[in-house]
Amino acid sequence: MEILLRQFQTKSFLSICKCLEPAYSHATSWTSGNAMLGKTLFHTSNTVAMPYNPPKGPRKWPIYNKKIFAPQLPGEERRPAYVCHMRTNIKYSPFKMWYVASMIRGMSVDEAIKQLSFVNKQGAVHVKEVLLEAQKLAVEKHNVEFKSNLWVAESFATKGLVMKGIRRHAKGRVGLVHYFHCHYFVRLEEGSPPAHFFFETAPKTTKTLLSEWVDEMRQRRIPGSL
Amino acid sequence: MSSLSQFTCFRTLLASSLKTAYQRNMPTMNAGIQVRERHTKHWAPAFKKLRRLKVQKVKLPNFREEDTISELTPDQIRSRMKEQGILPPRSWMERPITISATGAVFEPYIPPEGDGKLSSLTLGGAKQSMEFLSKKSKSMLAVRKIRSFEDSFSPSTFAEEAQDIYIKAHKALVEKDYDTLHQCVTELCFPLMTEDLKMCTTRWQFLKSLEPPRVVHARCTDIINKENIFSQVTVRFHTQQTLAVYDRFGRLIYGSEVVAKDVVEYVVFEKHLANSYGLWRIHEKIIPDWMPAREPGRKTYVQQKPVVESEPVADTAVPATPTEQSAAVA
Repeated sequence: MEILLRQFQTKSFLSICKCLEPAYSHATSWTSGNAMLGKTLFHTSNTVAMPYNPPKGPRKWPIYNKKIFAPQLPGEERRPAYVCHMRTNIKYSPFKMWYVASMIRGMSVDEAIKQLSFVNKQGAVHVKEVLLEAQKLAVEKHNVEFKSNLWVAESFATKGLVMKGIRRHAKGRVGLVHYFHCHYFVRLEEGSPPAHFFFETAPKTTKTLLSEWVDEMRQRRIPGSL
Repeated sequence: MSSLSQFTCFRTLLASSLKTAYQRNMPTMNAGIQVRERHTKHWAPAFKKLRRLKVQKVKLPNFREEDTISELTPDQIRSRMKEQGILPPRSWMERPITISATGAVFEPYIPPEGDGKLSSLTLGGAKQSMEFLSKKSKSMLAVRKIRSFEDSFSPSTFAEEAQDIYIKAHKALVEKDYDTLHQCVTELCFPLMTEDLKMCTTRWQFLKSLEPPRVVHARCTDIINKENIFSQVTVRFHTQQTLAVYDRFGRLIYGSEVVAKDVVEYVVFEKHLANSYGLWRIHEKIIPDWMPAREPGRKTYVQQKPVVESEPVADTAVPATPTEQSAAVA
């Protein structure tokens, strides 16, 4: 069990200290008297320093990242890693974001980032940032070895907050102005992208073509026959 | 092939003849560079201000605020809280604190070099004499201090108890039974053990103890008051274990379920003696420098290239008239 106690020791110290430190206040000076005490770990009661801000927006997508699969048997094919990432309430219309999201479906991560760099849409900037964040997460937290060995398995945008404003038109008429926000979701999967992500655009095999032709021929009927 | 080249030539000739003189002389039109032209200009720019007044401005919430909060100064944070109408936390808010474990190992045990590498049956191993705890005065003083709180404490019986706690702790870790794990392990040790295994599946087996566990070191210290005493006892284990760690997707990342490994460990157990409900719990591990390197992980890393600071190249003026060299290049 050598690895268990030594990995990331300093990181966990910092993470403990940070979460126990009350926000916006200074450390008390009474601990500085004893050198050993400065390193002790405190148990405290419930932290009730700041007002509670409930989380807003979608929360289920990142929960897919917490699923732990059972250990694979020796003969089983290696399960590809995946990472789900999102960005909520982007100031962009979901109807416009649809174009950017659907463009990168089935592409490898590198190709998607390259293409997004040259797409003339504001949404592309956000999508590119999300992809880069997801790539980083995959390597650091989800045991993906090569950051290029990822492809976009799922990419979609949904409606976020919509705020309504007003504008005036001619002859005292009033118009509604919608300020759209959208949420963007992406799932990166480990491996090379599939040859044909969209079934409809994949070239049909000779077998399929033949069977379809045969079906068409067999559907023919002579009109007016018995 | 020749016919194809004729066709392309013909196309370019045709294209150039269709272009106006203005287009032919325009370098951007001829070079084939991508030019971005603006298509969003209103046909009546004189009424821009009036058109802008038609729309009522709406203040949209800033959802990207959290990314920048860490860069704000306390004054900026205070002004933002005032805007949102949030009261600041009162500085005299008192909370009761319980110190249930120390934050480090005091006066750590220094294991003798080469311990556990040679078997006692070999010549070298026989020469390596076992250190007796009774010959260490400071450890014996600490043991006496522990006995003042715990009458039935003795290093020989404690060593066996320690092994039971060790096995219980690791079984709880594997099953992710954190309630039991807190009973077996101090607050310092808990994050070190659990943090990296949160998203992993572990399979661990304790096969057997190769040598009986031995208490090698003991120390006592007080925190804040003279009466608030914590004691730390180091136990040496020589055991045979198997360990296999699988990642989130069930793929093996460390060890093996079948291969048994001999493990020599120096585990520090801590107890809060002044606390009547104190328990002996795993606190830390002593890893000496001479210990062999760990099995490397099954992962490749990008090697960080050393940053080579090169001298800045002096700017030389480009000659206006062609020199021999530039002429040669051209």
